[in-house]
Amino acid sequence: MRIALFDYGAGNLHSLAKALEGAGAGVTITPEWDEALAADALVLPGVGAFGHAAAALPDDRSRLREALEGGLPCLGICLGMQLFFEDSDEAAGSGIGLVPGRVVRLEAEVVPHMGWNDVETGSDPLFDGIDALVAYYANSYVCRPDGEAAVIARSSYDGRSFAAGVRTANTWGVQFHPEKSSADGRRLIANFVRLAEEAR
Amino acid sequence: MLRPRVIVCLDVKDGRVVKGTHFRNLRDVGDPVELAQRYEAEGADEIVYLDVSASKEDRGTLLDVVRRTAETLFVPLTVGGGVRSADDIGPLLRAGADKISVNSAAVRDPGLLSIGAERFGSQCIVASIDAAAENGGFRCYTHGGSTPTDLDAVAWARECVERGAGEVLLTSIDQDGARTGYRLDLTRAVSDSVSVPVIASGGAGSAEHLHDAFTEGHASAALVAGILHDGVTTVGALKRELSDRGIDVRPVGPSPRAAGADPAVTDTKERR
Repeated sequence: MRIALFDYGAGNLHSLAKALEGAGAGVTITPEWDEALAADALVLPGVGAFGHAAAALPDDRSRLREALEGGLPCLGICLGMQLFFEDSDEAAGSGIGLVPGRVVRLEAEVVPHMGWNDVETGSDPLFDGIDALVAYYANSYVCRPDGEAAVIARSSYDGRSFAAGVRTANTWGVQFHPEKSSADGRRLIANFVRLAEEAR
Repeated sequence: MLRPRVIVCLDVKDGRVVKGTHFRNLRDVGDPVELAQRYEAEGADEIVYLDVSASKEDRGTLLDVVRRTAETLFVPLTVGGGVRSADDIGPLLRAGADKISVNSAAVRDPGLLSIGAERFGSQCIVASIDAAAENGGFRCYTHGGSTPTDLDAVAWARECVERGAGEVLLTSIDQDGARTGYRLDLTRAVSDSVSVPVIASGGAGSAEHLHDAFTEGHASAALVAGILHDGVTTVGALKRELSDRGIDVRPVGPSPRAAGADPAVTDTKERR
């Protein structure tokens, strides 16, 4: 089981790589889409800015979108989840357009939304074995999907509810950072690795 | 619900964790990699490494310690000390830090905060401010609390946030190491003046002090160091007592959290 961890060229990939390896996956960190899409599964990490990451997506977005629609297992974390959407308030540039909707600025008294927040999880197997999830967030933007079809988890901050997780085909996105969410976060990552293996 | 955070700070010097009083008289208290892991297991919400020698002695930061820590730590890690320019930020993040705190270098060149935030995102740029009470206000100090500046802590905190800092780590020099409580007037003045989370630091001696930082001080997080390193208490004990006092911290261990805490008591910043 080889997982490609895509490298936009910014931020900490270390803990995420270790968490994936801890779940039994082989990890290749790569900035090349050819290599990333050839792996058994793909992880889009969550550090950096939307514009910068969007610029690192393949010019032909349909290539990536078709791979994900075709069942390539993928986990997008924070910014990585935001890239599944069409576009963002944060910067120009388009996302993958896999999930209908856009990314909007968080409206709250204190931004970034920084720290551990409760996540209401549904029955998606990504959350198997996790009760009462409290996960670590560090975001100033949130995803606003068109409709609830893809939403698998929600959190609320400063009185507003937002999508904490989405799923379509074998693609999962989470707005929080499982690789920074201690034991339950590592369990989520292990669940993803298991689901990706089952999907092969 | 966003949980008030309990953050454990490890002052690191030459790859070892040290602790002193008023930034002086440093004593060796252990290995940072081991301690960080232990504190995560005890329930720490985040870990901060402050390289206490870096600014003063012009040393580089502890990339190797950060790299080894990130391999076994699965809560956020902030690293400060020794960041002299925006070029120092990237390697620390690559090594495994999630956030970088900047103090003296930002005072010398405030543009560092803007460049860092633009390049890496505000969420990983922490403005670290050391302040002491003077003439009815709070004066900022740099270089581990040894060099006074002309900056007022509240005004400087605001400027840091305008320039892109996503969090403020606010240390009271007067209270640091004293264990008699955080400087609540300073904490509250800064928390109420900025739109980003503020971490209260300097003076933690008991769970009551953390409680007061969250309620009276309006802090989003509270930094703890000496009382943990000396074995006076544990993160778990602090969190259980905070929970009993109505502060909805992230629960420790696998047991489900207690329901029905009095929401009126949890007057933390994000709920105002």
